[in-house]
Amino acid sequence: MKTFIYLIKRNIKVYFNDKGLFFTSLITPLILLVLYATFLANIFEDSFVSIFKDISISESTITALVSGQLISSLLAVSCVTVAFSSNMLMANDRITGAINDINVTPVKRSYINLSYFLATFISTLIVSISALVLCLIYTSVRGYTYSLGDTLYLIWDVIILTLFGSSLSSIINYFLKTQGGVSGVGTIVSAGYGFICGAYMPISSFSKTLQKILSFLPGTYGTSLLRNHALNPILKTIKYLPSSVLKEIKDGLDCNIYFFDNIISIKVMYLTLIITIIICILIYLFVSNKGRNRK
Amino acid sequence: MNEVIKINNITKSYGNVLAVNDLSFKVKKGELFSFLGINGAGKSTTIKIIVGELFPDHGEIKVCGKDIRTDEDEIKRKIGVVFQDSLLDKTLSVYDNLKYRAALYGITGEEFKERYKRLSKIFSLEDICNRKVNTLSGGQRRRVDIARALIHNPEILILDEPTTGLDPGTRNSIWKIINNLRKKENLTVFLTTHYMEEADDSDYIVILDKGHVIGEGSPLELKNKYAKDMVIIYNVKEEDIKKLKMTYHKIRNGFKIEVNSISIVTDLIVKHKDIFKDYEVIKGRMDDVFLSATGYELEEK
Ligand SMILES: Nc1ncnc2c1ncn2[C@@H]1O[C@H](COP(=O)(O)OP(=O)(O)O)[C@@H](O)[C@H]1O
Ligand SMILES: [Mg+2]
Repeated sequence: MKTFIYLIKRNIKVYFNDKGLFFTSLITPLILLVLYATFLANIFEDSFVSIFKDISISESTITALVSGQLISSLLAVSCVTVAFSSNMLMANDRITGAINDINVTPVKRSYINLSYFLATFISTLIVSISALVLCLIYTSVRGYTYSLGDTLYLIWDVIILTLFGSSLSSIINYFLKTQGGVSGVGTIVSAGYGFICGAYMPISSFSKTLQKILSFLPGTYGTSLLRNHALNPILKTIKYLPSSVLKEIKDGLDCNIYFFDNIISIKVMYLTLIITIIICILIYLFVSNKGRNRK
Repeated sequence: MNEVIKINNITKSYGNVLAVNDLSFKVKKGELFSFLGINGAGKSTTIKIIVGELFPDHGEIKVCGKDIRTDEDEIKRKIGVVFQDSLLDKTLSVYDNLKYRAALYGITGEEFKERYKRLSKIFSLEDICNRKVNTLSGGQRRRVDIARALIHNPEILILDEPTTGLDPGTRNSIWKIINNLRKKENLTVFLTTHYMEEADDSDYIVILDKGHVIGEGSPLELKNKYAKDMVIIYNVKEEDIKKLKMTYHKIRNGFKIEVNSISIVTDLIVKHKDIFKDYEVIKGRMDDVFLSATGYELEEK
């Protein structure tokens, strides 16, 4: 057990000390911040102003909604893209041969495999929770402070999404054996995930076909959970909001996600994610424990 | 239990490449065993098979009488290995590297600190313990590599080209450490190298070519078998040399005669005292052994 903990610590330490690994993992969240600062914030603000044109609503509520959208997007991408980058350690160890130096010790293979998953989870959680803290400070500064209950929901969402990112990346990164593979997957994930999880543009603004495809991806529900918990508390503060308008707003913000025309409830979102995580971990452990090739 | 490593007829291919071909040899306890061969001879592959990183296609390996397939843990605790390329975590400090590797053998806390202190003294790590591995010089990194291989007090130390690429001074200091360890701890050292003079100090040598043993024995045996001894005679006239009735080569101020065994020289000297006024007898060197055994030119010469 002690050995196992040291192995996890080693993985985490190598990740945070490896500037290449660590900084590439921050690229996607940084791109998102730049996009918000330059034009996404304005676009979202304009769309809120037009949606609320018949309803009296304070300037500060709109600011809060825009910030809520920023922080939910940011957390949705970080949890997954940081997990992928940090789990590149598994592939790197194989490419540099460091894994051979670990394999000559009496540690069981299954522990080594599990250590990569757990280290990725912990490293990503450290980054994501730090990001969440910065996000909460930011929204406070911008004039809206989340209640303790809402904050706990956000933390819980971050944990679930980080687990999702860690387990999915474990399976995919397990098959990377070359530097080319690592950069390829790294680039695809960091460029693509922000898009398909709806961090740059709401999923509701995509074509119907694309929306249908995305409704099959569990990551979509992760985004939606964060949207709900970041935006619902703010929407609740708006008085005299007709329910048809509220539904329209929630649809537009991806708080409502449809699976073949049915709105998915929060509970089902959690359930989908948790089942996905469990399945991914099982697949990873099965594949990696079987996969040692000494032939 | 005198044989710590026993390899019987192992064969290993990577796809079409036959890396190890029906290889057999034994390593005895406490000896310095050298494994010679040019690049691609199959040295590293053999090491990977011994440490259980690869399984052979055919054949059998016993380490201290145990089989890696059934007693993997036990064997791994008995072997410390320095791979050809340093495999430490480059971004971690020397101390952290040793700490995390030691933990993989279950060595933590006070037990680790004690071992670290000892190794740190032997390998002079005090000054570099907080340096990241990627800032170390080649020689410093090699010292840390060997310290890491010894972190769990193994009985067998396997070194895959430990001194390749190091300057002569650094090579000497590394050898001093290894020789000291052998004396003090009765450590068995399994070495691959292509510096022939390093093999000269070994107890037993196996010469490998294309995955197969082409010569083995103590350095003396190998020299007697493969390397011609020679005598150089100075300040004599060519007509005197002709009297010896041997093939000779003229060199700057004398003549060189190659002989198959030193006893021939002894006979010559006894018979022709008058010719042998100023001469030297030179034993064949490991370089010559390697050349005549393999038929290759040495790369770094
Ligand atoms: N992973 C590998 N895949 C394919 N061929 C390999 C691999 N490793 C080594 N070889 C080949 O096997 C042969 C023996 O290699 P190796 O054991 O590394 O030799 P040495 O250590 O004596 O230089 C070489 O021809 C080499 O090209
Ligand atoms: Mg080699």
